[in-house]
Amino acid sequence: MPSIPRLLRLSGTEAYNHTPDKNFLMIGERTNVAGSPRFRKLIQHDQLEEALEIARQQVENGANVIDICFDDGLIDGKAMMARFLDLIQAEPDIQAVPIMVDSSKWEIIEEGLKHLQGKGIVNSISLKEGEDKFREYARHILNYGAAVVVMAFDEEGQAATYEDKCRICERAYRILVDEVGFPPEDIIFDPNILTVATGIDEHNNYALDFINATRWIKENLPFAKVSGGVSNISFSFRGNNPVREAMHSAFLYHATRAGMDMGIVNAGMLEVYDEIPRHLLEAVEDVLLNKDPGATERLLDLAEEFKGQGAKKIVEDLSWRDQSVEKRLEHSLLKGIDKFIDLDTEEALAKYEKPLSVIEGPLMDGMGIVGDLFGAGKMFLPQVVKSARVMKKSVAWLEPFMEKEKEIKIATKTAALLEKDPSLDPARARQLAARSFSNGKVIMATVKGDVHDIGKNIVGVVLTCNGFEVIDLGVMVPCDKILDAVEEHDADIIGLSGLITPSLDEMITVAREAEKRGFGKKGIPILIGGATTSAAHTAIKIAGHYSGPLVHVLDASRSVPVTTALLSEDKARFISENEEKHRKAREKFSGGPKRESIPLAEARANQVLIDWANYRPPVPEFTDTRTIKSQSLRELANYIDWTPFFHTWELRGVWDPETETLKTKNEEGAKVARELYREAKEILEKIISEKRFTASGIYGFFPAFADGDDIVLPDQGVTFHTLRQQQKKKGKPNYALSDFVAPMTRGVTVPVTSPSIPDHLGGFVVGIHGADEWAAELRAENHLDEALMVQALADRLAEAFAELLHHRARIAWGIERPGQFTQSELIHEKYQGIRPAPGYPSQPDHTEKPILFDLLNATEEIGVSLTESCAMHPGSAVCGLYFSHPDSHYFQINDLQKDQIEDYAVRKGMDVEEVEKWLGPWLGY
Amino acid sequence: MSSNSAQALRDTLSERIMVLDGAMGTTIREYGLTEADARGERFRDNQEDLLNNGDILSLTRPDVISDIHKRFYQAGSDICETNTFSGTTLAQSEFFVADPRKSGGRKDPEFFESQVLRNAELQDLVRQLNHRSVELAREEADRIATETGRPRYVAGAIGPLTVSLTNVVDPNDTSFRAVTFDQVKESYRHQIDALLEAGCDLLMVETIFDSLNAKAALVAIRETGTKIPVIISAAVGRGGETMISAQKVEALWNTFAHVKPLAIGLNCSLGPDLMEPFLRDLGAAAPTHLSCYPNAGLPNPLAPTGFDLKPEDMQNHLAAFADAGLLNLAGGCCGNTPAHIEAIAKALEGKKPRVVPTLAT
Repeated sequence: MPSIPRLLRLSGTEAYNHTPDKNFLMIGERTNVAGSPRFRKLIQHDQLEEALEIARQQVENGANVIDICFDDGLIDGKAMMARFLDLIQAEPDIQAVPIMVDSSKWEIIEEGLKHLQGKGIVNSISLKEGEDKFREYARHILNYGAAVVVMAFDEEGQAATYEDKCRICERAYRILVDEVGFPPEDIIFDPNILTVATGIDEHNNYALDFINATRWIKENLPFAKVSGGVSNISFSFRGNNPVREAMHSAFLYHATRAGMDMGIVNAGMLEVYDEIPRHLLEAVEDVLLNKDPGATERLLDLAEEFKGQGAKKIVEDLSWRDQSVEKRLEHSLLKGIDKFIDLDTEEALAKYEKPLSVIEGPLMDGMGIVGDLFGAGKMFLPQVVKSARVMKKSVAWLEPFMEKEKEIKIATKTAALLEKDPSLDPARARQLAARSFSNGKVIMATVKGDVHDIGKNIVGVVLTCNGFEVIDLGVMVPCDKILDAVEEHDADIIGLSGLITPSLDEMITVAREAEKRGFGKKGIPILIGGATTSAAHTAIKIAGHYSGPLVHVLDASRSVPVTTALLSEDKARFISENEEKHRKAREKFSGGPKRESIPLAEARANQVLIDWANYRPPVPEFTDTRTIKSQSLRELANYIDWTPFFHTWELRGVWDPETETLKTKNEEGAKVARELYREAKEILEKIISEKRFTASGIYGFFPAFADGDDIVLPDQGVTFHTLRQQQKKKGKPNYALSDFVAPMTRGVTVPVTSPSIPDHLGGFVVGIHGADEWAAELRAENHLDEALMVQALADRLAEAFAELLHHRARIAWGIERPGQFTQSELIHEKYQGIRPAPGYPSQPDHTEKPILFDLLNATEEIGVSLTESCAMHPGSAVCGLYFSHPDSHYFQINDLQKDQIEDYAVRKGMDVEEVEKWLGPWLGY
Repeated sequence: MSSNSAQALRDTLSERIMVLDGAMGTTIREYGLTEADARGERFRDNQEDLLNNGDILSLTRPDVISDIHKRFYQAGSDICETNTFSGTTLAQSEFFVADPRKSGGRKDPEFFESQVLRNAELQDLVRQLNHRSVELAREEADRIATETGRPRYVAGAIGPLTVSLTNVVDPNDTSFRAVTFDQVKESYRHQIDALLEAGCDLLMVETIFDSLNAKAALVAIRETGTKIPVIISAAVGRGGETMISAQKVEALWNTFAHVKPLAIGLNCSLGPDLMEPFLRDLGAAAPTHLSCYPNAGLPNPLAPTGFDLKPEDMQNHLAAFADAGLLNLAGGCCGNTPAHIEAIAKALEGKKPRVVPTLAT
């Protein structure tokens, strides 16, 4: 006979079952007026919106249950309990979790129970008022359906000793279980955590008494739980947080091993057990476990050593303000502090007199240190961006003074030039004069057809930090505009960026046209960067079109040395090294061993064999499309995969959402990541609460069948084309996406599946609107770091939306049930089905996108459009097809042969050359 | 019901899948009743129209209600629900108390206190309505039990309300609720007392849109001290959440496990196909009997009953549920006529009931 384990089972709108794998139930205590002065103040001033935010934060921070308490002389506890719980009912993310109704007054507890739709916990009742009252309250609680915390109190008072704790808990348990019929798993004992190290000998055993009583309860009172308020234990060390934190975690360590199930814990007041300094831990454990009479004395002595350390965490250390103005500027730049920068810049100007001297002096010195540390891997990109922001702020303050001065200098120099050579055109003379005052000008652009610019913006920031003048032309910049700008500004370097494959071709175009305008002869370097670019592609496909230096830049941290080298005296050596690299890459490409490929017909014969005859395709809940005009951003936030977010900032590693740490060997990097994450969460919260972004999406399902390597949607008259792997494989199929859709029986339009149910293909497009606009605004206000963050978050939200929509689509398709997978399983793609996007490895052809967009009417429905290079606009967008078959998976197309390209061109009605252009990087001939 | 017959009910449930009835509301439509039928003599001059007040027919057209009960019992229902879906003072006030919103007021706890809960006339009417409804079902149940030699049961139906304890009605004050928990509990208690006095065999708190409303009803039942069996049944949307208060089914079970209901289940809202995953979730969580009486598919204004699925469709779906071990009690909600119930009863005959999991000790 099946059986269901007897567990503490609670609920808000979601169930919370205290299964053995959840070893400790965290009760959020910040919504308790006794535990949080801030919450108390908000409630007293009727600022309930903000008070609700505290509740929300606790849920977001992982509290399993939130404790709500209004026991305060200045608050009408009963009315506030009703009102606050009603407000929570309007907040889906808060009411998801169970609530602990906390009061010493029965009428407030009962009022709370009348406003909980789920099963909560009452905190608390006890035998203090005798058995009759105890029974009466317990019966009421059982009528409403709630678990209950029972304090170890009786008519005589609080149980302090082990014996009293056990005796009173057993007595309460027997009444509840035998007389009231209370489910034993819903009884939670609080055997009183009392303060130790008070100097009174009787108190020395309090911690051990609690721990031993916990063990006894768990062994003798079946299914009962044990809880407690942890911070009480360390009350004698008020003001000494390091010692208190160590005591809390050491106490929890021992109490949970004895069976303590849950506790009211301030997670901010908890040290990691393993990170407690050895000698402190020893002293703390001696006290908690009452090892000898001298333990308290020893801890008190040791505590002196830690005194004041905890306070440091909160009080800002402003001693650096006493240093010289140069040191202060350096400190601000290194630490990314912009609070004093205007003040210090003003002081520096007074001292140096000329704005340029300030920039070239203390500011550039400071940025030089930043650059060195960054180069040495001792600073990280997020920190550098912060430094750049401070730098920009300082320069912005100096700008009005500088403009004036610059005008005078340029005018003087122009006059001098004209005097020397009277035939010189005055405008040209001015240009030359201006140039002599710049460290180097870089024109940067994301090429035509592409909208991705996060990486480019980062490079821009880093270069600016290093004294280069960066002229950023933005995204989707046509070739002519880039080259005109180079001439107009008399630029020293051109930087081209792009993320999608067609941008590679556009870069070739720019290189070719730049050569025509003679930039190559002049030796103006072109830098190539962006996710799809590579050193090999740059060497083999682009470099040949340009006679000047053409360098691939892997990431932002390389941009500074490369740019510096290119503008240095010693540039010839760098350029020849770069050319040598290109030569080697070309040699390797043409001479190296190639993977063996097979003819298309052979590859087709080796397609994956799916037993369609015994397959029942799932039928989606609807066909045609559904539009989501405005998806809840808060819900999306849960679907964010943070790992790629950190990659944007060049922080490598894997993000662990459980512990909120970046798993990387680089400890410092992990620290920076944690800080970055905190800031990202803040901006994310702003995005959500201020509705900065609109997330819109569309998805749909259509009856479909495979026809060779094509997928036909007969009702819509639409055909998707797929490409097949052509490398020779041993014992493995040559995949094409069409393999995952059921074909028709030969010659007739009857599905081959049994029963004869048509298979379906899905498709989707999602986009995040509003990010580009906001980022531009922020950049205009010199908030470079926030601007980057906004764009990076928009990208993550777009991906998250794609993930969430795929999740919904799988449910609508009947191949997954709600809640079947955890969030982390979803991120790790443990589910059935795939959502490959055109332009990515399984189908690298971007020109399949317009077919999808037309099918879904995506541009009209959700405002996501395609550029001439088939990049999506807004840039934070994702599209793809849905496949449901359990065998469907992602794979990589490469080494495409001419026979397939010719076949594909016919199927698509395109010229072979055109197809070759779009599929350039994947061609194997 | 004596404790003996409660035991008989449990015994039957361990042997076979028991059959509930179909829809009262949509079956009434077949009779083509008019506003005059609904009003009868007694309510001829009532301010509000009564045709949509199905419960009032127990007083004005008892013949129709009797006939429907008879047809369901004959079709194979073991248990029929009384015609008391809206048999509370709160629900009936929609038809018999002037709406304060028409005169610039609002529905708030003061209104319900003075105009509804303390309205002696309304209380009498509601008590009569519950008494008469139990009698009508009781007569048919006893008659057909005697004729067929198979016991038939009467379940006092306790439906949702037109006011909610969780739903926000005033966007400017999301903590405002039109009624209080105590008022809802009192109104339900009044109905429950009447149902128990008239002698129903079990109580069904059903079509739960709002778990807190249902909690008020269940607290009221527990406070009467009655020991008769209780069935709890929720109406969930496509995401498997109660339609108003958005509680997931497993959370709902956790909320009501302490009631130790005879059965917990789902009804109304979705057709059987969409309901299945949530019924599975509920079955996996609940160590008690599982009931299911879905609508006959989703609403379709063109179908004669207003719903899509035909008797044979319902038969197929519920037979599949039974085969999957998901059923202890089954029937139909909106759109299910006696013909549907007959088909369902036939399909479930001889099928093994779900094995009820035990709570581990």
